[in-house]
Amino acid sequence: MTLSRRRFLQGRVLPFSSAFIAARGMEAYQGDQAQERAGARSLVPPGVNEIRISSNENPLGPGKTVLDAMLGKFPEANRYPFNSTPSESALASAIAAKFKVKPENIVLGGGSQELLKNAVRAFTSPTRGLVTGSPSFENCPGVAKKLGHPIAEIKVDSAFRLDLERMIAASKGAGLVFFNNPNNPTATVHGSKSVADFVKRIRQASPDTVVLIDEAYHDYVTDPSYQSAVPLALETPNVFVTRTFSKAYGMAGMRVGYAIGRAETMKPLEKLKMPYNISVFGVAAAIVALGDQKHIDAERERNTRVRAFTLNALVEAGCKSADSQGNFLFVDVGRPAKDFRDACAKQGVVIGRDFPPFEKTHVRISVGTMEEMEKATAVFRSVLRPVSTSTGARIEEASWR
Amino acid sequence: MALTRRGFVQTVGTGAAGALTSSWIGARGRENALWAAVEPTLVAVESGAIVLASNENPIGPGARVLEAVKAAFGEGGRAPGRYSNKVRDLIDAIAKKQGVKPENIVLGCGSTQILRSATHLFTATDKPLVGTIPTYEECAGYAEMMGHPVRPVALGADFKIDLDKLAEASKGAGLVFFCNPNNPTATYVGARAARDYFARVTRESPDTTILVDEAYFDYVTDPDHETHIPVAVDNPRVIIARTFSKAYGMAGLRMGYAIGHKDTIKKMADWDGGSGTGSLNVLAMHAGTTAIQQDPSFTANERARNQAVRDFTMKWFADRGMKPTESQANFMFVNIGRPAKEFRDACRKKGILVARDFPPFEKTHCRLSFGTMEEMKKAVAVFGEVLAKKASAA
Repeated sequence: MTLSRRRFLQGRVLPFSSAFIAARGMEAYQGDQAQERAGARSLVPPGVNEIRISSNENPLGPGKTVLDAMLGKFPEANRYPFNSTPSESALASAIAAKFKVKPENIVLGGGSQELLKNAVRAFTSPTRGLVTGSPSFENCPGVAKKLGHPIAEIKVDSAFRLDLERMIAASKGAGLVFFNNPNNPTATVHGSKSVADFVKRIRQASPDTVVLIDEAYHDYVTDPSYQSAVPLALETPNVFVTRTFSKAYGMAGMRVGYAIGRAETMKPLEKLKMPYNISVFGVAAAIVALGDQKHIDAERERNTRVRAFTLNALVEAGCKSADSQGNFLFVDVGRPAKDFRDACAKQGVVIGRDFPPFEKTHVRISVGTMEEMEKATAVFRSVLRPVSTSTGARIEEASWR
Repeated sequence: MALTRRGFVQTVGTGAAGALTSSWIGARGRENALWAAVEPTLVAVESGAIVLASNENPIGPGARVLEAVKAAFGEGGRAPGRYSNKVRDLIDAIAKKQGVKPENIVLGCGSTQILRSATHLFTATDKPLVGTIPTYEECAGYAEMMGHPVRPVALGADFKIDLDKLAEASKGAGLVFFCNPNNPTATYVGARAARDYFARVTRESPDTTILVDEAYFDYVTDPDHETHIPVAVDNPRVIIARTFSKAYGMAGLRMGYAIGHKDTIKKMADWDGGSGTGSLNVLAMHAGTTAIQQDPSFTANERARNQAVRDFTMKWFADRGMKPTESQANFMFVNIGRPAKEFRDACRKKGILVARDFPPFEKTHCRLSFGTMEEMKKAVAVFGEVLAKKASAA
């Protein structure tokens, strides 16, 4: 009853099982508990095929070559990732080759979240705190809170960009600066010159402070002033970049990310790395995905198109939004996010959670497929329409199913 | 402060525990990965090699589980692109199978995450980790990294855990790592004796937590065998670690879990619980949920298959005057009368991969995992050739 590779692959049919896996937000990190269970998702009427645009995922998944690579690993499901072919070290080598660095410049993570978590553990302390944006991705402050380490949350500027000046000022004596570029949830980006200057000034005033530049949404950026900070990290002590396969690469469910920086900066992260943190499927998938830049370029173009369509529809409906450089939009809907979210969920569209301090006015909407966003924007329009007694019934009728 | 293998060994072992500790950790904290960069020969497995190095189930998880993995790709293969919300389904399935409540379970990225969390939470600079020498090194490696002391306890006769000695050493400990069957020696402590030991530690050292690693639980054939899950659910100072990496054949998927008292589990989950947006991949969640709901005949068959291979292999060595320890697992520990490295390198040249060094027995003993019967028949032919050559002067 050995399941030989050949036999298994002969029997495979790629039309996928109809069992749709209801996916869920990361961001539902707090678990399977509270927010989502009691939240918008449960408002989706039974039988309605929900549009899930809440977690900044790639709605199309990883693509066929990557799925084939995973199927090819079935005969090795029983092997530890260091015994599989390719092994996890081959993934580190493949990433290193992509950036023309050595494997010692790379640390693999179970998603970039493991690296963010371990960065807080490694670089902050009760006397050397964390500096982060507000709002920004909450993983780092969440971990710092658990540890009881100080946190400086610096509100974004009037253009919803990370406030460089105030973050620099707060960084003096800090253990770690979390710099999310593009920034989740505001979707804004800083150009490469600003980032280089930001790092330089932090290091002048506070050379022991570590700067983590999270480029999770790197592949979605279209602003020409932006460039990756990877070269900067490789030439600057105490600076590193995190990347993930969870966004443009369409592998959020596979949990693969990495950090890249100077070898001495990587060492504390290497120490804290969970041994064999990436499955044999994740290893094989990521290696194949790395080799298919065309697929990523196509995903960026697809996202750019759908993002523009969605933004346009929301602006026409009277909303304001910062220029998005991610696969999501941060939109002023002029009402509490919860009201908007719940109303959308009742019509089958699930959007992002609250992002204080803007939860009374702004929502985060991830960019799905064009088909999904055509339906979703119709729902947004119906929800945004001023509700009077006479139009109420029409809204119900217009509900998308 | 480079964490090369050599550097790591040099940084430990200067404390009270002395040389034993350093050689123990020096064996390499984990099954492999950490040292990949400095020891490339340990990683890439040649295709066609027979891998008897990592205590894996050579058969794999079975068609039913692989079908579940395939189904987990979802419509159009899009599901791997989504964060997974299947954590609760897996926890519920485990709870049902083990007869506990969901609040008694925390998931991990393999049991590795469980071992690390427990070590993090229950050891400190003044609360040592206690473990036998040798045993699986994850907890000791993590404690050393944190700068927490490690108190090693030599094994008793026949390479079995000496429970009296362990109980004495457990006094004042933060955490005892109790691996049963013990990796790498494959020896086993019966259920009654183990329960007595837990009770004694709780009585004599009430603040000491015991982490019972039941990774090889499904391979035990000794009649005095039962899980200690019921003890753990009642006693906040006892935690059970389980994994899908061994009998369930899912080492490549990375899924394990802990069962314990709800307060202890909450502590572990708060520190570093596995979730669908953290360390746990969606395929593993589907695979685990399916695997644990299989008919118990799945593990019974795997146990019987392993037992036949175990009997065959152990007899082969015994017939040649090399008596293995009494194995209750899917691997054995045997005195081959020469350095493990010499044996390992010679076997590797002939396409057989056996395990790393296990100090302090690396000059004489080797750990061999059991493959399929077919693989072991080929492997013993190679062992025969390699062992027929005179050992170099050790």
